[in-house]
Amino acid sequence: MTPLLEIKNVSRYFGGLHAVEDFSGQVQRGERVGLIGPNGAGKTTLFNLITCFTPLSAGSVFFDDKDISSLKAYQVARLGIARTFQNLRVMPNLSVFDNVSIGALGALGHSPFSALLHHRNYAKDISRRTWDALEQAGLQGQASEVAANLSYGKRKYLEIARALALSPRLLILDEPAAGLNDTETAQLGEFVMKLSKEGLSILLVEHDMNFVMTLCERIMVMASGRKIADGTPQEISNDPVVLEAYLGSEEEEAA
Amino acid sequence: MRRIISVSLLLAAVLIVVPGILTLVGGGYWFRVMTTIGVFSILTMSANLITGTTGLMSLGHAGFYGIGAYATALLSTKFGWPFYLTLPVSGAITAAFGILLALPTMRLIGIYFAVATLGLGEIIHVTLLNWVDFTRGPMGISAIPGVTLPGVFTASDTTHYYAVAITALIAAFVLGRLTHSYYGNALRAVREDDQCAASMGLNVVGLKIQSFAFACFFAGVAGGLWAHTTGYISPGDFRFSESILILAMMVVGGLGSLPGAVLGAVILLGLPEFLRPIGDYRMIVVGAVMFFSILFLPRGLLGETPVLTVVRRQFGLAWDAKSNLGWRQ
Repeated sequence: MTPLLEIKNVSRYFGGLHAVEDFSGQVQRGERVGLIGPNGAGKTTLFNLITCFTPLSAGSVFFDDKDISSLKAYQVARLGIARTFQNLRVMPNLSVFDNVSIGALGALGHSPFSALLHHRNYAKDISRRTWDALEQAGLQGQASEVAANLSYGKRKYLEIARALALSPRLLILDEPAAGLNDTETAQLGEFVMKLSKEGLSILLVEHDMNFVMTLCERIMVMASGRKIADGTPQEISNDPVVLEAYLGSEEEEAA
Repeated sequence: MRRIISVSLLLAAVLIVVPGILTLVGGGYWFRVMTTIGVFSILTMSANLITGTTGLMSLGHAGFYGIGAYATALLSTKFGWPFYLTLPVSGAITAAFGILLALPTMRLIGIYFAVATLGLGEIIHVTLLNWVDFTRGPMGISAIPGVTLPGVFTASDTTHYYAVAITALIAAFVLGRLTHSYYGNALRAVREDDQCAASMGLNVVGLKIQSFAFACFFAGVAGGLWAHTTGYISPGDFRFSESILILAMMVVGGLGSLPGAVLGAVILLGLPEFLRPIGDYRMIVVGAVMFFSILFLPRGLLGETPVLTVVRRQFGLAWDAKSNLGWRQ
């Protein structure tokens, strides 16, 4: 079987800055992959390239054997890649339900005429998808609240619920555990694990090493826009190149 | 059931109660005031789709209003078209102009979009003013026939009130379905965070163009009604100050709120008429009402968030009365 996501020799230059350079990698179907690297390594830029937020300077990205490099962001989302953002981007003035319905609208399409003609089945489909995603994320009790009134932790789940309403095949999480305490991080890990068991492929960036090491089956390491390692958590934590570039020298580790 | 009651009450208010009161207070003049309020209600409701719901601050709405008015005036004076043809055709012409003029500005956001639409409005105004062969320039177009249907009704202040009221109800129906449905959520997502909306699979440019097209259609229809009901139009009716008036109505009523748009038009046009006995002081009162309503209710007299829930519940728009949130299965 071909991988779900195949990144081939991808580069992105901002003027003279090589944010991502010749990066290749894969996400297999059903796999949980972590992407780690020091600040400024180009992780978020890579996410933006995969989701076609930022155009590629070179290389190509294949999703389910389809070249998505030249598509627009919304087309990539409709194909089944949903993402969350590093800095939470929920819509504060909309209710929780309305926020999540955005994902369902993306998946099912939005025509002004279906709104004008009041297509009942379409509205029911949107509603059902939204409720399903809310229930998956455990937010059904807060459906009618305005998103701005949710706690920070709940807003993280709201963002994931919105992505789930797209019924994606690949979920890309950009620092999902940032700003959460240990208990919340552990709960989030269980939640992501549950989604993965239901067949969703996961690609995530995270600085919480414990979170990544326990959750991910495979880890890719980036430094200065390049991939420097790719392997199981075990292999990565013993890789001298990674220790050098990312985790610090051995003396510091010991101290 | 709740929906039937709400719709009946709304229809009764607009078609029976208001004209009844207008007749009691003396008819004629008050019908004309109410007709103007109706035209501006349609304008404000339509501008609200672009500015309130989709979040693109448009300062050129009066320009599109003018295109509709001139289309109707020319079609009815030169070709003798009746109102039931001029109004939809003027709407369609304006929508086509709207899409054409808006396409290059679709990538702009915030204040840049506002300034670009301000420019569009000015271009339209200056064109109306200077293309004398076609528009008669500053002389304007006069003797535009009123709303008549031979053998059924003739043009009068009452007929014009009903023409505007029924059109406003249609506009409220169409714009209400667009903004209170799930489709409206897509438009609001574009307003709140367009990049995030795109990453959730929403076609942001498509949504912007659609909202522009629908808004311009009703701006054009409102222009057509203005031409038919006043019988005379000139470029001076469609200046930047009209765009600003529409914006003020929207903000006082509540950005993104459809009932708010109507309330804004009623207050900002109705108040000066009510206060006519106190002479020129009345504009101070109007200014003060605007100032204090924004100061104390920055989200408008009928703010978007609560109004959405109420309208969805009362009119059953994509919404279930039991959960207030949407159909479960």
